[in-house]
Amino acid sequence: MLSYLARRLAMTIPTLLLVAVAVFTLVRLIPGDPVQVMLGDSADAAQAAQLRAQLGLDQPVPLQFLYWLGKLATGDLGHSITNNLPVLPLILERFQVSAVIVLVAVGIAACIAVVAGLIAAWKQNSALDLAIVGGATLLLSIPSFWLGLLLLLLFGLKLKWLPVIGYVPFSENVWQAAMFMVLPIVTLTAVEIGVLTRMARASSIEVLRLEYVTHARAKGVPEWLVLGRHVLPNAFAPTWTLIGLLLGHLLGGIAVIETVFTLPGLGRLLVDSIFARDYPVVQGCLLFTAMIYVVVNLIVDLCYPLFDPRVAVA
Amino acid sequence: MLLWRPSRAMMVGLLALSAMLTAEPLRADAETLLRTRLNADIRSTDPGTNRDANTDGVMAHIVEGLVAFRDDTSIGPMLADSWTVSNDGRTYTFHLRQGVKFHNGAAMTADDVIWSLKRWLDPATQWRCLSEFSVTGIARIQTIEAPDPQTVAITLDRPTALFLSTLARPDCGQTAIIHRDSVGPDGKWIAPVGTGPFKLGEWKRGQYVDLVRFDGYAARSEPRTGYTGAKIAQVDRIRFNVVPDSSAAKAGLLSGSLDAISNLAIPDVEDLKARPDVRLNITPALGLTGILFQTRDPLLKDVRIRRAIALSLDTPQIIDAVMEGIARPNNSALPIGSPFYGEVEAHGYTQNVAEAKKLLAQAGYHGQPIKMIANKRYSYVFDSAVLVQAMAQAVGINIEIEVLDWAAQLDRYNRGDYQSMAFVYSPRLDPSLSFEMLMGPKATQPRKVWDDPEAQRMLQESMMIDDKAKRQQLFDELHRRFIDDVPMIVLFNGAEIAGLRNNVKGFAGWLFGQPRYWGVSVQ
Repeated sequence: MLSYLARRLAMTIPTLLLVAVAVFTLVRLIPGDPVQVMLGDSADAAQAAQLRAQLGLDQPVPLQFLYWLGKLATGDLGHSITNNLPVLPLILERFQVSAVIVLVAVGIAACIAVVAGLIAAWKQNSALDLAIVGGATLLLSIPSFWLGLLLLLLFGLKLKWLPVIGYVPFSENVWQAAMFMVLPIVTLTAVEIGVLTRMARASSIEVLRLEYVTHARAKGVPEWLVLGRHVLPNAFAPTWTLIGLLLGHLLGGIAVIETVFTLPGLGRLLVDSIFARDYPVVQGCLLFTAMIYVVVNLIVDLCYPLFDPRVAVA
Repeated sequence: MLLWRPSRAMMVGLLALSAMLTAEPLRADAETLLRTRLNADIRSTDPGTNRDANTDGVMAHIVEGLVAFRDDTSIGPMLADSWTVSNDGRTYTFHLRQGVKFHNGAAMTADDVIWSLKRWLDPATQWRCLSEFSVTGIARIQTIEAPDPQTVAITLDRPTALFLSTLARPDCGQTAIIHRDSVGPDGKWIAPVGTGPFKLGEWKRGQYVDLVRFDGYAARSEPRTGYTGAKIAQVDRIRFNVVPDSSAAKAGLLSGSLDAISNLAIPDVEDLKARPDVRLNITPALGLTGILFQTRDPLLKDVRIRRAIALSLDTPQIIDAVMEGIARPNNSALPIGSPFYGEVEAHGYTQNVAEAKKLLAQAGYHGQPIKMIANKRYSYVFDSAVLVQAMAQAVGINIEIEVLDWAAQLDRYNRGDYQSMAFVYSPRLDPSLSFEMLMGPKATQPRKVWDDPEAQRMLQESMMIDDKAKRQQLFDELHRRFIDDVPMIVLFNGAEIAGLRNNVKGFAGWLFGQPRYWGVSVQ
């Protein structure tokens, strides 16, 4: 187990190195110049050259890369061009916001979706199945920004139950923080329920067709026990893989939801930095996202034997 | 039958817990708070260095300079009570206002002014406007002296009409006079200790900037005007919430989470007009929206084609559609609100389809495609490009729109790498600067759209003289040449739209567009 873990962790190093090279190159291939964005339409050549030199952007690109890589090796992702803040603390601060929303939303979505998928599979081709599949497809089709705005309109403007603008960290006021998190979590949960329900249903249908389920039923095992003990654990493994992929994807930032609900999360930081051509922050965010992806997938793989004993970690 | 009954103590405890969870935090006093919006976070608290428009707008509440722009873009006194200019136009002697205090309670003296100005002129400060006071700028500052504790004399190496307006520029941080406690012993920036009506409270990056009323503020006696006059804080605290999404900001205004928002999008105007608890404040702005031409382009170097495009446009119709009637057509480089905008400047292009077709025929134009770059960051710029494309098509001009993000467009603009582009210029508060942003030799400044040596000479002259009548003559002539040469088609100056809840009193927009929250109360 430990050797497996060490091997997987060692494999992340070349992966991240490749990501670092790709990210550094791609970011610089985007047309646009951070200095021009900072100075706007009134910048003269002297001002631009002065600022470019201050930011180290006048150096040859390979030299900039080596300098960045050297600092990266010591855990330093550099400083933001826009506000001169160190990138890593900035990312970690923003990541906390995204992580709370994603983990809670995916957790709730998984609980609902697995049960809904199981029921839909159990009652396959019935009106209930049709309703669940239809609902899941509908949720999957709704753009998150639109759903978010509708929820804002209903619960923020019409009913005035929840705050519309702002963010309070949990460290400051738990109740207020929770109030600000409700709508983003509901929005993300709704969208992810659609994805997960379809997967849970498909895998449950496959398991329900297997002989040992028929055997259990023939033995007279109550239906709830068949579903709960024999179908659910076996059908959950593919859904768990999908949850891992979703978490890896979403923890990298939920820019749309963060923008609609004015949350200072990682996704908004990345989008803002791309528009500002803030190279160190863009590079840092993408590298961090890649690392999250790798780590989440590793955790999912390590947990896999819990749901499917046939899979052994070795 | 009720088997369990909570004790009285438990009931009290539950009620207290419930109150703690649901009630607003108790306040020691009735603090007045104004909640407004920034569409992006500020860059720093160091004015005029690492800045953008949002930073300038927030910092204008905290710091002040010797002089400041008035509502009509003329220059008025701020921390200086008055000034004199020597006969050779090189020495400006500022007489400082008595009784001005910094946020730390220290009285402002000439010594502070000299320290602040020297700090701005130190390259290590990275002041945005340092190059304006270099050899290639408007003039070099030779000496800064204090004949007495209330007087400061600044001597330039040559006379210039732009000295005071450059000092007052918001993007230069109004050349703020700050206390030396603003920096640490190592010279590194800590936080602004200024003289403005508000002090910096808390800056939560990505979330909000809080400003707190400065009780020791010494207000001027004249009425509020521009960035000067009586700047009296009417609320205890201003919170600038960072709300990037305009729909969310609008929802915040309607729900009462925000009291005031500026930079409202045009499509929101009609909707908000119908809301009983919200009102709009619409002010003409100095920003300039138009179509730029690359006059070195093989096709567009022919002035007849550029003129044909100008004559194909029904500018009032474009403005009606794009700005929903809240802006006026203007083909001049000078904004309508400028004191130098007169009858001559009001004369621009009138749609003339027959003449446009004739010019195209003379130029031998046969529908060759003309690329026009646009962006969607400013919706009215993109919408203008679409209408220009449609109107030009009606006379046989084939415009193809290429949409880029702002940074990419800015890059192409700075390199002069385009055939045409729909573009928006930020406000310039001096008429010479309104022309200067467009004019210059393309060989050394590829971003400039108008390369006319004779016009350049006139512009330089306008920067040297102070006489208003002579400057007006020069600007009139520049306008005529600009219209004849068609290096760009100015369409309109736009408008600044602020949405205010009905309990917000005293707000007034102004030409520069940046919201000012002194003199504004929440009732």
